[in-house]
Amino acid sequence: MLGLAALALSANAARAQRLLVPMDDAQQNHLKAYGLTYTAIKAGASAEWLLNYRGGSFLLADTPELRRQAGLAGITIEPIDNGRLGQIRAEIASNNMEAVPLEKAPKIAVYRPSEELPWDDAVTLALNYAGIPYTSVYDDEVEHGDLSKYDWLHLHHEDFTGQLNKFYLSYRDAPWFIDLLQKNTAEAKRLGFANIPALKKDVADKIREFVDRGGFLFAMCGATETLELAIAGKNVDIAQSFLDGTPMDPDADRKMDWKRAMAFRDAHLEQSPFVNAMSDIDGHQVNVPGRQQPLGTFTLFNFSAKFDPVPSMLVQNHRAVINDFYGVTTSFNKAVLKPGDIILANEEGAPWVKYIHGDYGKGTWTFYGGHDPEDPRHAIGNPPTDLSLFKNSPGYRLILNNVLFPAAKKKPLKT
Amino acid sequence: MVAIGIAPIARRPPTIAAQAPADTMAFYKALDLEAAGKYKEAAPLFRVALHTPASVNALLGLERVLAEIGQSDSLVATLDTLIASNPHEETYRTVQLRTLQSLGREAALRAAFDKWVHDVPDSPSPYREYADLLLQRNRSAAADSVLARANMTLGSTKDLQLEVAQARAAQGQWVESAQAWRQALIKADYLEQAAAYALAPTPMSSRPQVREIFLSLPIEVSSRRALADLETSWGSASDGWNALKSIPPDSAAADAWSEFAKRAESEERWTLAREALEAALRWKHTPDVALRAGTAALNGGDAAAALRLAPLADANGDSALIAKSYVPLYARALSSLGRPAEAERMVAAYDRFISPGAHNSLIRTIAWGWVRTGDMNRARAALAATGAEGDSSDAAGWLALYEGNLKTARVLLRGGTESSPELAMALALIARIKADTAPAIGKAFLALARSDSTAAAAQFVDAADKTPVVRSLLLLSAAQIQSRRGNDADAIALWKRILDTENDSPEAPQAELEWARTLRRAGDASGAAAHLEHLILTYGGSALVPQARRELDLAKAAIPPN
Repeated sequence: MLGLAALALSANAARAQRLLVPMDDAQQNHLKAYGLTYTAIKAGASAEWLLNYRGGSFLLADTPELRRQAGLAGITIEPIDNGRLGQIRAEIASNNMEAVPLEKAPKIAVYRPSEELPWDDAVTLALNYAGIPYTSVYDDEVEHGDLSKYDWLHLHHEDFTGQLNKFYLSYRDAPWFIDLLQKNTAEAKRLGFANIPALKKDVADKIREFVDRGGFLFAMCGATETLELAIAGKNVDIAQSFLDGTPMDPDADRKMDWKRAMAFRDAHLEQSPFVNAMSDIDGHQVNVPGRQQPLGTFTLFNFSAKFDPVPSMLVQNHRAVINDFYGVTTSFNKAVLKPGDIILANEEGAPWVKYIHGDYGKGTWTFYGGHDPEDPRHAIGNPPTDLSLFKNSPGYRLILNNVLFPAAKKKPLKT
Repeated sequence: MVAIGIAPIARRPPTIAAQAPADTMAFYKALDLEAAGKYKEAAPLFRVALHTPASVNALLGLERVLAEIGQSDSLVATLDTLIASNPHEETYRTVQLRTLQSLGREAALRAAFDKWVHDVPDSPSPYREYADLLLQRNRSAAADSVLARANMTLGSTKDLQLEVAQARAAQGQWVESAQAWRQALIKADYLEQAAAYALAPTPMSSRPQVREIFLSLPIEVSSRRALADLETSWGSASDGWNALKSIPPDSAAADAWSEFAKRAESEERWTLAREALEAALRWKHTPDVALRAGTAALNGGDAAAALRLAPLADANGDSALIAKSYVPLYARALSSLGRPAEAERMVAAYDRFISPGAHNSLIRTIAWGWVRTGDMNRARAALAATGAEGDSSDAAGWLALYEGNLKTARVLLRGGTESSPELAMALALIARIKADTAPAIGKAFLALARSDSTAAAAQFVDAADKTPVVRSLLLLSAAQIQSRRGNDADAIALWKRILDTENDSPEAPQAELEWARTLRRAGDASGAAAHLEHLILTYGGSALVPQARRELDLAKAAIPPN
C-alpha cells in the first residue's frame, strides 16, 4: 500500500492538473507569460484569464510543451492540483475577480511599412519579445481588403492625415525622409490616389470599416489622433500644402464630421503648417515648444471584473500607477472624448487621460497614448528598446493585454 | 543643471577685499556672528553695514541670515529703499528677484523684473537674472519668452547666450542649444563642462548637427574641448579625440590635449592617451609629457614606441631622475621586447640611485623578460638575486607553475598582487588539483606566457589527457584559445568533447554557451538556439542561464541586437 501511495504522489508532482502563471511580483517575466498563454490557446489547450487574481494570472493546461517553453523563457509557473484549484475558484467567486476562458488565438495584423524607419514600434517589439506571431500589413493590403483576414489590428506611429507627421519641419533634407516621401507618393499614385493625404484618408476609412464589422483595433502614439482626424476629415482638406500642394481648408474645423469618428469629437485642427502638432486632442504636445507639458504618472482604473470584464482585461497589471511616456500623441484631452468612451487610465488632476477604450459598430477600439513605455523620451534615431531588460514592464503589459483580450469567450452579463 | 549654479558666481567676483575701511566694522562683526551660527544677532549688524561701502556684501549677508531664520520677507522693504537710492546696482536687483521668488510672490517678481528693465533699458542683466531664476524652476518656456523679449528690446541675445543655451536644452531644442553654447563659450570658456553636461541628453538623431556646430570653423579650443567632453559622455572617447586633434597647435591646444590624455589615462584608454600626448609633444617637448606618452605606449602594448617617446636624453644626465622615472619604464619595455639583458644592465648602471624595494620590483620585471625569452634559468637566477622577496613574488609563483610545481605556485599565486585572466584560470586549476606537481599544465601556461597560442592550445589538450580531475577546465581553456585565434572548428570540437564526456562538469554549460555564441556569430541562429535551449533546460541551476536566455532571444530575433 505504501508503495502505491508514493507512486501516486510522485505522479501528481510530475504532472499537476493545471499550471498557474502568476502575474504579480512573483512572475519573473511578465511579457513572455503572454506569449506562453498565446501558445497555449493556439495549441487548443485550455486557458483562463484570472482577472484581478494575483495581478491577472493565467491558468493553463499542464502540458510538457508549455512547461518547456516556460523553462526556456524563465517564466514563473506554479503547478497546481485540483484541491488548490478549488481554493482559487472559491477566492475568485467571493472577490472582485473573474475567470475568463480564453478560446481562440486572434489573428494579428500590424500596420507598418516593409522598409526600416528610424523609429520603432512598441507593439512590434512586445510581440517579437513575447513570441506572438503577427503579419505586417500596409496600404496595399488594406486597399485590397486584406484586413478581413485578421481579428486584431495594431497601428502605431502612422500619420493618417498623410502629412508624414510633419517631419518636413525638421527632417526635410534627411535621406530617410526623402525616401519615405518618395515611396509614399509613388504608392499613392500606384493605388490610384492623387497624393499621400488622399491615400491615407482612404486607408483610415477602411480601418474604420474593419472595426465597424467587428474587428479589434489597438492604436498607440500618433496613429490614435491622426486616424480620428482622417476619419472625421474624410471630405475636408486637412493637410498642409507640403504634402498635397494646397493649404489646409481654413474652414476645416467647422467641416469636420465627428459623427464618423470612434473616440473623439469637436477637436480643433492645428492650422499652422509650422507647428508640429495635428490638433488639440493630445494634451502633452511634446514637439511644440511652449506648449509641451511635463510627464507625470497615470493610474489604471479598477473595474468590476464580474460586470466589466473587457475593461478589466485591458487594465490587468501588477502595478496600478505607471510612469508616463511621450509620443507624438501622448495623451487625450478629456474635452474631446466622446461620451461613451471608457477611460482606462488617467493622470490624477490632469485635463487629459492616457488610455481609452470603446465600442464602434460590432467591434472595439483601444487607444494608448505615447510611443514607448520604457523610453519616455524616445526620439527619432534612438535605438529600439531591448525588452529583455524590461521583462516586467507594466507599461508594456497594457499592450499585451490588448493582444489577448480578443481571445476571451464572451459571457453574458450577469446583470 | 550645473551651469545654473556656476554662472552667477563667475559673473560677479567677490569685492570685499578691496573695501575695508574702519566704518565696515559692523560688517565684519556680522560675518563673525554668522559664522558662529548666531543669525539673529548678525542680522541687525548687516543692516547697519548696508549704509557703508560694504553695502553690497552686507546685503548678501543679510539675505543669507534672514533666510536662515525664516524672515526673508523683512528684506523686501529694505531692498526697495536700497534700489531707490542706487537703481544701477545689479546686486540689489538680483537679490530682490531672488527674495521675491523664494517668497512665492510671482506678481511682485514679475513687476520687479519689469521695473529693472524700465530703469536700465539697455542692460541684459535683468533678462539674465530673471531667466536664470525661471530656468532653476524648470520653467523653460517662460524663460524662453523672457529671452525673446531681450532679443526684441536689446536687438540680440549675444550677452545672454548661456541662458539661451540652457533654455533651449531644457526644451529639447538641442541644435539651437548647441549654437548658443558655442557662442557662450567664446566669452566664458570655463563653461565647457556645463555645456557638455547640458547637451549630454541630446538624442542620437540630433547629435550629428550638434557635432557639426561645435566642429564648424573657426576652430575654438573651448568649443572643441566641450565637444570632446560631450563625445566621451556619449560613449565614444575616440570621437572626443577627433574633436581635439585638429586644433592648431599652441599652448591652449597642448593643455587641452594633455587634459584629454589625463582622462584617457585614468580610464586606461592607452591608445587615445598616447595620441593626445604625442600631439602635445609635437607642440612642445617636455620630459614629463614624454614620460606619460611612453608609459601610455607601453601600456597600450607598443614597447618600442615607449623607448622612442621617452628618450633618456630628456633627463640631462640626472641619474636620480633616470633611476626614479626612466629605469622602471625602460625595464618593462625592454623586458616586453625580449631584451631583458639590456634591462639588467640599465638597472645595474643606476643601482645606487634605486631603493631596495624598487630594485626588487625591477628585478621581478626582468625575470618576466627572461620567462618571455624562454630562459627559465636566467629568470630563476634573477629572482634568486632579490633574496626572500624574490622567492615569494608573483613571478616566482608563475615560475613554479611553469615548472609544474603546483605546491609552490598554489601558495605564491594565491597571495599575489597582480590580476589577469591567466591568473584567474591558473588559480581555478590549482584549486581543483590535489596533486603537487603537474608538468603538462606548466608547459601549457609557459607556452601561453610566450604568446605561442598554437602550442598553448595543444599543450592544454595534452594536459587535459593527463589530468582527468581538471580535464574539462583545460579543454575549455584550449577551446577559448582556439576561439580567440579564429579557429572556430577546433574550438567547437573541444566544446563538443566537453559536452560529450564531461557533461556534468561546471564547464559544460559554459562550453555550450560559447559554442552557441560562436554559431550565432557565424549566422547559424537555429543551431545556436538549439544549444541555448539545451543549456537552459539541462543546466537550469547554472549562473549562465540568464545569459543563455538573452542569447536565445537574440538568436530568435526576439530582441534587437546591440
